[in-house]
Amino acid sequence: MTDPAATGRASIGAPVLLPREQLDGLVADLIAAGVEVGGPTAAGEPQSPAALAAAADAALAGRGGALDYRVVTAGADLALRPGMPRLSLKGLYLPQNEALFSWRQRGAQIEITSAPTAPGPRVVLGAKPCDAAALAIVDQVMNWGYEDALWNGRREATTVFTLACGVEDESCFCTAVGAAPDCTRGADGLLTPVDGGWIVEAASDKGAAVVAAHQSRFGDVSSAQLDEAAAFRRAARQTVAAHLEIDADSVRDWIATHFDDPLLAALGVRCNGCGACASVCPTCHCFDIVEETDGVGHGTRRRCWDTCQTGKFTLHASGHNPRADQNARFRQRLNHKFSIYPLRFGEVLCTGCGRCTRSCHAGQDLVEILSAIDIAARRPEPVAVASAAGGAATAALGGTPDEADEG
Amino acid sequence: VNELRELARDLLAAEKVDVVIGWEDGRRGARPAFVTAADEADRLIFDTRCVHNLATYLNPRRAHLAQFGKVAVVVKGCDAKAVAGLLRESQVSRERLVLIGVRCGGVLEMPDLPEAVALSGETVAPRCFRCDVREPHLVDHLLGDEQPDPPRPPMTIDERIAAIDELPVEQRWQFWVDQFSRCVRCYACRQVCPLCVCERCIADKSQPQWIDTASHPRGNLAWNIVRAIHLAGRCVNCGECERFCPVGIPLSLANRKLQQIVKQRFGYVVSDDPEAPTPIGDYRLDDSQEFIR
Repeated sequence: MTDPAATGRASIGAPVLLPREQLDGLVADLIAAGVEVGGPTAAGEPQSPAALAAAADAALAGRGGALDYRVVTAGADLALRPGMPRLSLKGLYLPQNEALFSWRQRGAQIEITSAPTAPGPRVVLGAKPCDAAALAIVDQVMNWGYEDALWNGRREATTVFTLACGVEDESCFCTAVGAAPDCTRGADGLLTPVDGGWIVEAASDKGAAVVAAHQSRFGDVSSAQLDEAAAFRRAARQTVAAHLEIDADSVRDWIATHFDDPLLAALGVRCNGCGACASVCPTCHCFDIVEETDGVGHGTRRRCWDTCQTGKFTLHASGHNPRADQNARFRQRLNHKFSIYPLRFGEVLCTGCGRCTRSCHAGQDLVEILSAIDIAARRPEPVAVASAAGGAATAALGGTPDEADEG
Repeated sequence: VNELRELARDLLAAEKVDVVIGWEDGRRGARPAFVTAADEADRLIFDTRCVHNLATYLNPRRAHLAQFGKVAVVVKGCDAKAVAGLLRESQVSRERLVLIGVRCGGVLEMPDLPEAVALSGETVAPRCFRCDVREPHLVDHLLGDEQPDPPRPPMTIDERIAAIDELPVEQRWQFWVDQFSRCVRCYACRQVCPLCVCERCIADKSQPQWIDTASHPRGNLAWNIVRAIHLAGRCVNCGECERFCPVGIPLSLANRKLQQIVKQRFGYVVSDDPEAPTPIGDYRLDDSQEFIR
């Protein structure tokens, strides 16, 4: 969890300044060069009576307007300000639903048209560092045995610049799970807000290439601006570190060896199984594949986001459901993120963005739950079971329906 | 609140119930609480942040709550209507329930404030305006003082509906197509609904696939219309579907419109009286529609 790569401080080339007044020009240049530009934008006006009242409640609580990641047509549409986009960045790589191929039958002939896997170039400006870090984590499962050409194609075609985060609220806990408010994992560059604009540091060759191709838009950074950026980033790290501190390795092993522990087995009591946590999560990546008949003799195979929080996710054709209730489903979500994934891929399937906690209208709170598990994991066991973690734990979990949750 | 805590303590101590479902203060405002021990009764709260309809935890789809034998649940008027709905449809047994009613003067839309605030037109949940059951009848215990009328929101739900009704039919259709186009098909609306009781929802059936799973316009329109129609004459207007909707679809407008139609056609208004016959569960010789007589 303390791997320096995870917090990604490496910077390629010297930091440059993107003056505030050059943002519009940079976006225009990129679009003129045939690049699709995306980033956080102000969400549309709420429509529902509940959303209107909720916006008033949010204002009362001192929160700003909602943000959404979108493709933009002008720099002015980008909202490079504090605020957590409601859905994570993953939708730009794994859309809510997408065609895998379409088919058409003509007599005995079946014609199959695959979805294109080499999209055009795209630059994302101002992504949340926790959202970009999630991309690198999900890369592992998307290339585990089977290489997901749609995901990989979009990853290769996209250059992501993150915006150093000043920490959203008390539900943020990125530093507890190996990320940071200014990490560049999964990103190609980092913007840090300073007086007059943003300091831009490339973190990959792809990021450096974008900066080099648009050199006229960037200027020199003053030492005062460097100091300002360093102070901003240091303060954010300190703030978020105070929200949660866990020993992720102990949590991993404790979950793996305490499947039936009352603490783990009763966490879903207030959960409605609405799956909002999975929809907004930057690392939840499960999908369902469906066949759609579009008419006689032609159809489409699609994949759609799915979530382990619904009963249908594990419902067998026989009618049996191994995860019969919400307690079992909620435990699965925790288990997958903090034990199964780290045991297989060596890292937690969570970047601490806090969206699941914020979006839960029933009050499930991951910060509280992880704290409780961390305390339990640090407590000395009556019988030593630590050595049972590792490989044995994977076997103890019965192996596999859980692990095959990729799709 | 003291009344509530005392009652919960007594019920648990006397083993009259196994759990009291109410509200508590969480790290992010009010949230549902499941109190199983008498000495934990002080966790319970009731104020303007207690928006959740706890009757949803009585829905038989909640398999994990069957572990609790006898259940006491704290209900506002709108929540009591949902309990009545479950009783009417034989989804829950009255003997298993102790209903603790609270007098309610309206709630906020969102529970996530650090402490309760007085309601204003801007912050009150719009459904609370002209609530007809601010003192639930279907209860074993009724707590709290009489409350003032909930304030009027800038635009009431009925006014929003009237504005949409005035549009030409093409624009009305387009309004709903636009709203439903945002749906991500998470089914949060269904999951949280106290009265979505189907063991197997039509959206989960794949042989045949009645409703497309994908969140494209065709699938979204089919799902949202089926959901609304299946709740016509059953919906209690608790607003939980709309509150849980992650993309802000105005589901309360659709639900309320159907309530208006049911009232107009069948003279039926949903109440917290479980004995009141429902339009779908009732047969009358003087029915206005000929085909059924």
